[in-house]
Amino acid sequence: MAERTYLQAISDGLREEMRRDERVFVLGEDVGVYGGAFKVTLGFQEEFGSWRVLDMPLSETAIMGGATGAAIMGMRPVAEMQFADFVSCAWDHLVTIAAKQRWRAGTPVPIVLRLPSGGGFSGGPFHSQNPESSFAHIPGLKCVCPATPEDAKGLIVAAIEDPNPVLFFEHKHLYRRIKGEVPDERYVTPIGKARIHQEGEEVTIITWGAMVYTAEEAAKQLPDSSIEIVDLRTVMPWDKEAVLASARKTSKVLVLHEDTRTGGFGGEIAATIAEEAFEDLDAPVRRIAAPDTPVPFSPVLEKAFIPQVDDVVRGLKELIAY
Amino acid sequence: MAIARVAEPSGSLQDVKEWGLDREDLFTIYRNMLVTRGVEERGHILYRQGKIPGSFYTGRGNEASAVGVATAMGTDDVGTPLHRDMGVHITRGVEPWRIFAQYMGRADGPTHGRDGNVHMADERLGLIAMVSHLPAMLPVAVGAALAFRIREEKRVAVAWSGEGAMQRGDAHEGMNFAGVRKLPVVFICDNNQWAYSTPSHLEYAVEHLADRAQAYGFDGVVVDGTDVLAVYREAKYAIEKARDGGGPTLIECQTLRMEGHAVHDDAFYVPKELFEKWAERDPIERYRAWLQHNVDMTDEDENEITVQVKKLLNDSLQRAEESPQPDPSTLLEGVYATPDDLDTPHHK
Amino acid sequence: MSSTTAVDVVMPQMGVSVSEGTITKWSKQVGDHIEADETLLEISTDKVDTEVPSPASGVVTEILVPEGETVEVGTVLARIGGEGAAPAAPPAPEPATQPAADAAEASASEGQAPAAEVGDTAPSGNGKSFISPVVARIASEHGIDPSQVPGTGNGGRVTKRDIQAFIDSGASQAAPAQPEPAQAAPPPPAPAEAVAPAPPAPAPAPVTAQAPTPAQASQEAAPPGLGETFEPMSAMRRGIAEHMRRSLDTSAHVTSAIEVDMSRVVQIREKLKKEFQSAYGVNPTYLAFIARAATETLRDYPWVNGELRGDKIVTRNYVNLGFAVELADGKGLIVPVVKNAETLNLLGMAKSIADIAKRARDKQLAPDDVTGGTFTITNPGGYGTFLGTPEISQPQAGILGTYAIVKRPSVITDENGTDAIAIRSMMNLTLTYDHRLVDGAYAGRFLRDLRERLQTWGESDY
Repeated sequence: MAERTYLQAISDGLREEMRRDERVFVLGEDVGVYGGAFKVTLGFQEEFGSWRVLDMPLSETAIMGGATGAAIMGMRPVAEMQFADFVSCAWDHLVTIAAKQRWRAGTPVPIVLRLPSGGGFSGGPFHSQNPESSFAHIPGLKCVCPATPEDAKGLIVAAIEDPNPVLFFEHKHLYRRIKGEVPDERYVTPIGKARIHQEGEEVTIITWGAMVYTAEEAAKQLPDSSIEIVDLRTVMPWDKEAVLASARKTSKVLVLHEDTRTGGFGGEIAATIAEEAFEDLDAPVRRIAAPDTPVPFSPVLEKAFIPQVDDVVRGLKELIAY
Repeated sequence: MAIARVAEPSGSLQDVKEWGLDREDLFTIYRNMLVTRGVEERGHILYRQGKIPGSFYTGRGNEASAVGVATAMGTDDVGTPLHRDMGVHITRGVEPWRIFAQYMGRADGPTHGRDGNVHMADERLGLIAMVSHLPAMLPVAVGAALAFRIREEKRVAVAWSGEGAMQRGDAHEGMNFAGVRKLPVVFICDNNQWAYSTPSHLEYAVEHLADRAQAYGFDGVVVDGTDVLAVYREAKYAIEKARDGGGPTLIECQTLRMEGHAVHDDAFYVPKELFEKWAERDPIERYRAWLQHNVDMTDEDENEITVQVKKLLNDSLQRAEESPQPDPSTLLEGVYATPDDLDTPHHK
Repeated sequence: MSSTTAVDVVMPQMGVSVSEGTITKWSKQVGDHIEADETLLEISTDKVDTEVPSPASGVVTEILVPEGETVEVGTVLARIGGEGAAPAAPPAPEPATQPAADAAEASASEGQAPAAEVGDTAPSGNGKSFISPVVARIASEHGIDPSQVPGTGNGGRVTKRDIQAFIDSGASQAAPAQPEPAQAAPPPPAPAEAVAPAPPAPAPAPVTAQAPTPAQASQEAAPPGLGETFEPMSAMRRGIAEHMRRSLDTSAHVTSAIEVDMSRVVQIREKLKKEFQSAYGVNPTYLAFIARAATETLRDYPWVNGELRGDKIVTRNYVNLGFAVELADGKGLIVPVVKNAETLNLLGMAKSIADIAKRARDKQLAPDDVTGGTFTITNPGGYGTFLGTPEISQPQAGILGTYAIVKRPSVITDENGTDAIAIRSMMNLTLTYDHRLVDGAYAGRFLRDLRERLQTWGESDY
């Protein structure tokens, strides 16, 4: 065990997989000499060489299409979009080819796409988004959103191992802020399984990514209430059983995500709870999410955009009192 | 002002022998072209009989380009052929009955009814199934070449594109990356002069698309796409160059799309004269004449081949028509791959 | 402030439970001027004596209620000002009583429970009537009427925690909701007493799903006075209270009594006891005899087994016999029902009664077991009572009360017409019936026939 930051954990997991399996290689912009815009691949090119850590042209198509072709040919590429926001440039190859190739042509496409996502540091509209719901919607893709360093390492390993295209949403705001104990040895965190971040009886918060910590803070401010926090960890395929079990247990559910509200993945979760746990609900399923705008730049505005601890406290109080 | 090299026409039998083709190979090429056309002609009929749902595309006029390039590929090479390149599938060994099954959406087609017309590929034969977005497969072929390069394998990827598709960013980004890294990929541009109803002069501003190769740091070649042996020669040269680490080549095969964009299109916008002119250069007719002239193909030889082809197609059609429909209850299967799916030759 | 329109002076409510007051002294007379807030009269209630200040300035134009009279809260006592503000003539007695009469009617109708229809989900005293899905589910699974559960949610809503706490506290006995559900959690009744027929029970009050009236339930108690302690009403108690009140308000209760010579039954029972016990493992209780005889008799008196539903009289070709059962802890009662009692002979009746008694004891009664009764038998005589006036279990039309069997000297006439005194086992029976439907003569004949059956029970009668 060692204490690692969220970023270090991702880096560790990736490095160890590259050492273990020569089919694994990294491609992205500035990932080689520079070590990656966030330094996730710092030192990688020195260790693995420039043909396993590829400084790609400014071309998401080349990155995504290239990764797809290489994966079809038996490699295990770990591609990076410098910011999750740029995935829109790679959308076509991800959604049109990678997502569908197994289903329609029997050809698996085992790629990982790392996506530094999320806001909270005045990144503005194009460096702060959380686009997981768009891709959760596409059959054939998997989307993981680790919140803890331990899960980050375990899930990058799982993503590389998975024979499907896996989008790995690493929340930028957690990179260096969050530290945790991480096992030294190799382990695989299962994709599709949620984790109970804390147990409770009165109300459940379903959340993922950086919002796990916001939920935790909010719960701390209500020490007399028994609040359960479920960290989904994987948005697609999501752990329906765990969510429903928690909903049945507490009968009051708050879904919290940093992504915007309309069409955000919380809607899918809320609808499923209403469909399948209706008779266990003691209150309507509430969602707390960002408003339906692009991510603002100014700190004052961004604070009004990203769900804050106070917002969650308020939501919890209302639910508890319902 | 042209920049790309214009290829010479095919030469004599002597030249052909230098490229490594013997009499057997030459007849095989002929047979493959006949089967290609035969499959598409039969398909055309089936479509009009209502036996083929969706849309139906043919590559009439493109047989030489497709068969020529495919013949030049090595066994372990891979490619991403498009909808005018049925000849590639045939040459690589895809059985016609499965192609008919694919057209008819049957369970035994390569996509088991999940995708239609020529959106298919047999992975074992080194082919990757195309998508409708063009030329999305181009960067994918580049990715395959990247894998070969990383693993230092002597294998080549062939990426097809049309002259319309070449105008999208995918082509630029894919070729640029290939040029930067000198990847073992050959780009084939099937220039059949019409992108649906859009003529070339509304698609691009340069004289030859092959001219663009220079912008990416590699060579471009323009070749008569109706001359199967010339296509073969250029493709062979480019593929072997790539295999030896010489980087990519862009080969522009010029022809005319002899039918509409798809069966539902009667191509009224193509001037009749153009059809007439290019009909005289029908790839199969040209090659047949060359064979008769240069290899002494007799009527018996020809007949034998024709009869074989006909029988093959009839049997294939029957087999396909008798093959089962897909089972709707299997619809949800295989959205996600399992580790077992990775048990392919490519994933060792 | 002066008024040109008359201002009414009304009897104030001096205390939450006060419903009337007595005028002890008028401080002003008709024609006097009075200022706002100046004392106009003094009143006396059972809570307090107090002065009543004038609501307005002006001239007292009318005094409607004289000193010494007691009127309902809200009654108009006097008027100030008015057109011309000239003093009006003192009101004649009739007008004086009129408002009082009006007020009395008004409050009488207020006091009446709004007729709760079957299946009415009128808001309970819990306030918000919204039942969330999980509460509805838990309620139905446990056979609880959610309106019986104290609610702590928004607006007094019953929350999941509330109903779970309710179940855990064991207060969830009886009170089955009308519809299907799984199991109820009924209480152990008192075991059958030696002499008295079957489980003793004070008065029957099957707690149905009817809600207590809003008016009653929403009354908040004033804090306990010196020497007083508060305890909350259990849901069952609430239910009983509501039902008892409503029953009296609904039916026109009349009770007729008759004396029955049970000697024959006593005799036969002695004979059968052993046989029944060894062959069938069941005790032929007096209750079984009475129930059997009553069921037979009901056949001839369908209205006693009937119901007044709206303006229709309902009669049936079956008898679902309810038996009032006291709960072990003495905190309430339950009335399990033997369905289709008309199909049971004495043995069957004894068995059925034993079965429901056991299940009531073991808390295994299902909601189905406590609904659908058409006639009820209760035994106020368990502790020696010889007469009582039970209340009818709504929406039935009658209830039979059984009392202690006591050995008494009795005059019997033999076949020669000779009178003699003999010791006989005598028992009283009461039939409380709804006089809206059943008249005295009808009831009397029912009792006569029932008595006849019991007194002439044949040895081979089963």
